Amino acid sequence: MIETRELTRRFGRTVAVDAVTTSVADRGLVGFLGPNGAGKTTTMRMLTGFLPATSGEAVVAGFDVFEAPLEVKARVGYLPEHPPLYPELTVGEYVRFVAEIRGVPRARRLARVGEVLAAVGLTGWEGRRLGTLSKGYRQRVGLAQAIVHDPRLLVLDEPTAGLDPAQVVSVRRLIRELAHDRTVVLSTHVLSEVEALCDRILLLHRGRLVGDGTVDALAERVGRGPWVELALDAPPEDPRGPVAALDVVETVEQLDAGRLRVRGGPEVEPALAALAAARGWRVRALVRHRARLEDVFLALVGEEA
Amino acid sequence: MSATPRPSLLQATAAVVRNELRLWFLAPGGWVFLAASLLLAGLFFTLSIGTTGEASLRGALPNLGVTLVFTLPLVTMRQLAEEARAGTLELLLTAPVPPLALLLGKWLAAVALCTLFLALTFPFPVVLFSWGDPDPGVLFTSYLGLFLCCCTFSAVGLLASALTADPMVAGVLGVLFLLPAWLASAAEALAPPHLAPVLARVSLADHLRSFATGVLDTGDLAWFGIVTALGLFGTWRALESRRWR
Repeated sequence: MIETRELTRRFGRTVAVDAVTTSVADRGLVGFLGPNGAGKTTTMRMLTGFLPATSGEAVVAGFDVFEAPLEVKARVGYLPEHPPLYPELTVGEYVRFVAEIRGVPRARRLARVGEVLAAVGLTGWEGRRLGTLSKGYRQRVGLAQAIVHDPRLLVLDEPTAGLDPAQVVSVRRLIRELAHDRTVVLSTHVLSEVEALCDRILLLHRGRLVGDGTVDALAERVGRGPWVELALDAPPEDPRGPVAALDVVETVEQLDAGRLRVRGGPEVEPALAALAAARGWRVRALVRHRARLEDVFLALVGEEA
Repeated sequence: MSATPRPSLLQATAAVVRNELRLWFLAPGGWVFLAASLLLAGLFFTLSIGTTGEASLRGALPNLGVTLVFTLPLVTMRQLAEEARAGTLELLLTAPVPPLALLLGKWLAAVALCTLFLALTFPFPVVLFSWGDPDPGVLFTSYLGLFLCCCTFSAVGLLASALTADPMVAGVLGVLFLLPAWLASAAEALAPPHLAPVLARVSLADHLRSFATGVLDTGDLAWFGIVTALGLFGTWRALESRRWR
């Protein structure tokens, strides 16, 4: 769906996006992360045809963004960070207008607008002026305009910002459904959202692509992969030596008295259980912890960002 | 999904025109423009026939033109500047709308609004025909001249709106561009000798004058056409360069 090669954008002497090369599949959810000012918005603006690149290539849905921008724009839906609304218009007028400029055929337009308003939970709101809507509702209208033409690539910049918890749940469900038969690029600072939704992560830092892969793969790369916590009740001996001696164990760290962080293969837990039983240790906890996106993010971006 | 539809140039242009007109008339902008322009136009018309007693628009025409110099930039100012400020320009530029459709749609909408103003001055000819014996041909060319003012001022106003993301600045810029172009010949006497003939030739007011006397001069038509084209071309370049900043 997306192929970029050395995609670069400068503003004067500032390099906003620096030689980004990546490739994204035809369906699924991709989390697009990075600290503020990393170049995420600039990248999204290039992919949606709003900004030209300084150099490099971008191909979206089989068309070169800079050579066939209209073909690309016809296949892409975009929700910018601030939903681009006309406060004077009503919800219905606005989404119908977007459907019109996005080329939804006249015969299908009304039905289609009804469908997307239902999908974002705005049925019955057609007559409300956009200027009178709260942030959460503005966000939903923004989402409706982004999907009205059934795009093959959907680019969402902070889609759940300003939503209440119930709305967040329903918008996430909608995003997950949308990703069944199209590509969704989701840019957000809510890491739990990315963990919950995204199969793959692109991490941008100072314009460079510093991470590209699943959370687990990236965690593995920065040494923050999944680990097993072993907590013992008043161990009669220092457990680190015997644990480290196990074949399946790679590293052992002491967290605090009686608590260890153990890394290794999937056979670590049974091996630890057997060891504890053999040594007569009283086990309080034996828990596998998943890799945390937050740790990966901080490891790749650096605490200072 | 099946074939990906996208609007034709005509469809996209029509959509932009409709949206512009709707935005003007949902907000006070369009109404205020019509009311203010009609009020000023009526005033100038009354003063002109009251003082000359002549059954024509000749006396009023320059003042009607100058009315538009001040009022039309106030409706064109929001066209691109406000869209840039509110972020809706991003919506338009990420939709499969050909850039030409955006440009023409915005311009034609302003021309349409201005033409509506001209149409609403229909009492002027009615009054002239009821109480006098005006030359229909001269009335026609007078209105044609005003229509050309609509086209030209809309293009220049749009250019001003493309240069900034602040509608207020766009409005002031629009007047600032139009007024000197309108009055260039006024500076003729003060200008150095080699510049004076140029000023006389570029003044829009001077080019409108012949329309008031029923003369259709290709030079006048061409000048309005050239300034309109320059305005639209400049707008297009300004929109392009915005994407590079």
